[in-house]
Amino acid sequence: MAERIAIVGVGQTHHKSKRPDVTTAEMCAEAVERCLEDAQMSMKDIDNIIMGSFEVADGYYSPDKWIIPELGAVGKSGLEMQNVGTTGGVVAATGFNIAATGLFDAVLCLAWQKMDEAAGAFGRGGGGTNEYWTGQFPMSPITNFARRAYAYMDRSGCTEEHFAMVRVKQDQCAMKNEYAQLKLGLTLEQVMNDALLAWPIRRLHMCPTTAGAAACIVCPEEKAKKVTNKPVWVEDWFTCHQGGSLTMAEDPTSSTLAYASHLVYKRNGITNPPKDIQAWEVYEPASPAELRWIEEVGLCEDYTAWKLFEQNKVGIDKEIPFNPSGGVTATNPIGATPVVRLVEAVLQVRGDAGEHQIPGTINRALATGYGGQGENVIMLLRKTL
Amino acid sequence: MTTEQKQDPEFIQFRYPRDVTYHHALGYQSKFANGLKQGRILATKCPVDGRCTIPPRIVCPMHHVRQTEWVDQGQRGRLISAFKINFPMFNSRTGELQTWENPIIAVELEGGARMDGWCMETDTSKLKTGMLLEAVWRPEEERQGRADDIMYWKPIEE
Amino acid sequence: MTQNLPEIPDTLVNVDVIGYSNFLVNTGATGTKFLKEIRDNKKIMGIKCPSCGKVYVPPRLHCPTCFARMSEWVKLSGKGSLTSYTVVRYEEPYLPKQPPFAYGIIQMDSADTGMAHFLGEVDLDKIKIGMRLEPVFKEEREGSILDIDYFKPSS
Ligand SMILES: [Zn+2]
Ligand SMILES: [Zn+2]
Repeated sequence: MAERIAIVGVGQTHHKSKRPDVTTAEMCAEAVERCLEDAQMSMKDIDNIIMGSFEVADGYYSPDKWIIPELGAVGKSGLEMQNVGTTGGVVAATGFNIAATGLFDAVLCLAWQKMDEAAGAFGRGGGGTNEYWTGQFPMSPITNFARRAYAYMDRSGCTEEHFAMVRVKQDQCAMKNEYAQLKLGLTLEQVMNDALLAWPIRRLHMCPTTAGAAACIVCPEEKAKKVTNKPVWVEDWFTCHQGGSLTMAEDPTSSTLAYASHLVYKRNGITNPPKDIQAWEVYEPASPAELRWIEEVGLCEDYTAWKLFEQNKVGIDKEIPFNPSGGVTATNPIGATPVVRLVEAVLQVRGDAGEHQIPGTINRALATGYGGQGENVIMLLRKTL
Repeated sequence: MTTEQKQDPEFIQFRYPRDVTYHHALGYQSKFANGLKQGRILATKCPVDGRCTIPPRIVCPMHHVRQTEWVDQGQRGRLISAFKINFPMFNSRTGELQTWENPIIAVELEGGARMDGWCMETDTSKLKTGMLLEAVWRPEEERQGRADDIMYWKPIEE
Repeated sequence: MTQNLPEIPDTLVNVDVIGYSNFLVNTGATGTKFLKEIRDNKKIMGIKCPSCGKVYVPPRLHCPTCFARMSEWVKLSGKGSLTSYTVVRYEEPYLPKQPPFAYGIIQMDSADTGMAHFLGEVDLDKIKIGMRLEPVFKEEREGSILDIDYFKPSS
């Protein structure tokens, strides 16, 4: 029988485009120091460490060899893992699995990326996940989301202006988040006139490159109650693979997000997502993707999310509090990005999100990780058991 | 390839350029590459639901059954999605920055499988999902058994 | 359209895939200070843990056993003793020197850790564990661990 588990502490670095002042390991230590402080614990209390980044964008093999000593954590149990953009998601999900065994008192989940060091690793590292199949055409996250956005416009009838509305909303949220990287004070005109990367994707639509790390500590129930008086319970989690090329999908706009989130709703008795969940932190690598993700998690009918933006219904203090942190288009330390979502969701449930706190009580929050061409990790949090 | 040597004035940084060659085996998918050399597009077919897929696979990703049947997907297909690259990107074959005039498209073939390709029409406003396209092949002696042996997909009248 | 396509061969195909990368490495504030001391002053510095007192060289920001932040720099003489070594006699891409060459781990005096570097001005067959060593610096230094050309036997 699995233990019930809770997150007892979170921490992240101030995300920036460049961090020449620290090595990757030192940057990780910064997030871990903040996480331990938040949990009022020391490294002695941690008995398992799950860690990872998107290794191809790292330039280090076996980064744990460098990071574990920098954390003063030599000799502890743990794993190092990677799964492109979902890395932080699988790090957290694996940490949840391990904490749920009850074999460990406190599991530290750590994810990072120092993209100022990556130097075009995406394009150069064989052009994709498998060169023969995905490297024959110049593919990247930008082009992947360009084709999604084109198909979405085609199917939904929305225009480029709606993509700009999403971007402005994301920026308005990021402006309130001290940890966010891009805080630009954008207007619709600025977004609509921004440089095209791959039509209809403009530079501002796309997640930036970020140097940053994020961490959380997960404990089984008994330990969690001893450590903190505001544990955030992990109600459920699910990781979902998607194979091969996007062209395999029936619908080029979709990912596994609808499948994965509804599977989690079903096994937790969630019948009305907009009512049952009060905070959403969903990994959107590009502004247009946020529209489809809002639909896929069940907040509105397919191909109608752009109307919610037209009606000004999405925002921190609006009907649909989606990505109050400012999201991935403001901050993207890629391997760490799902943990950044998780950290935000924990802060929202605790009521500790400060200026970007969603008003009212947050009983449930949903955080996700996205990667590759459609993998998703779902993390469902609860205020009370 | 370029080796930028930009230094931060305050902090010491260095770069290490590397080129690494891997030799990937196509295995069961080799038949697809051999088909392209003959100007044919082949896909594996699932014995459970009859769906044809590219990349071809020895086992169906959804039903976990062996896919022993190969199906010729024909020379025509319909447009599913398209995009154009408006910025210089790394060409993974050369490691150099490059720009491209032609849109990259996804095509649903007559046989039902889907694949990526270059579109002959460079004006994206003339592209509509569902439009009919036909494969334009490189001359046989230039083909390498790769998807870009199909030089372009050409829009055709119905 | 369904056929078994016997005329298309099953001959196995291999493809060459080239991965290009050009990563940037940040040495950070701690690494930068260490390298600048070597570059500007020909000095090898260690860093001391405020909790357990161990001196680390090369330096790091946190003590690997205490997770304490370290900021106390310790000037080392640069001399040390060889704790282990090997002679590289094979060739492969990206080796830093033309083989044969020797490198070893040097236990630095007044420090608690060893540091890896090349051995020079020594007969490759006469290297002995425990032998005393001292650094030889390059004339042109650029802020790299290779500003130390090698360690040579010291009298
Ligand atoms: Zn099947
Ligand atoms: Zn110490």
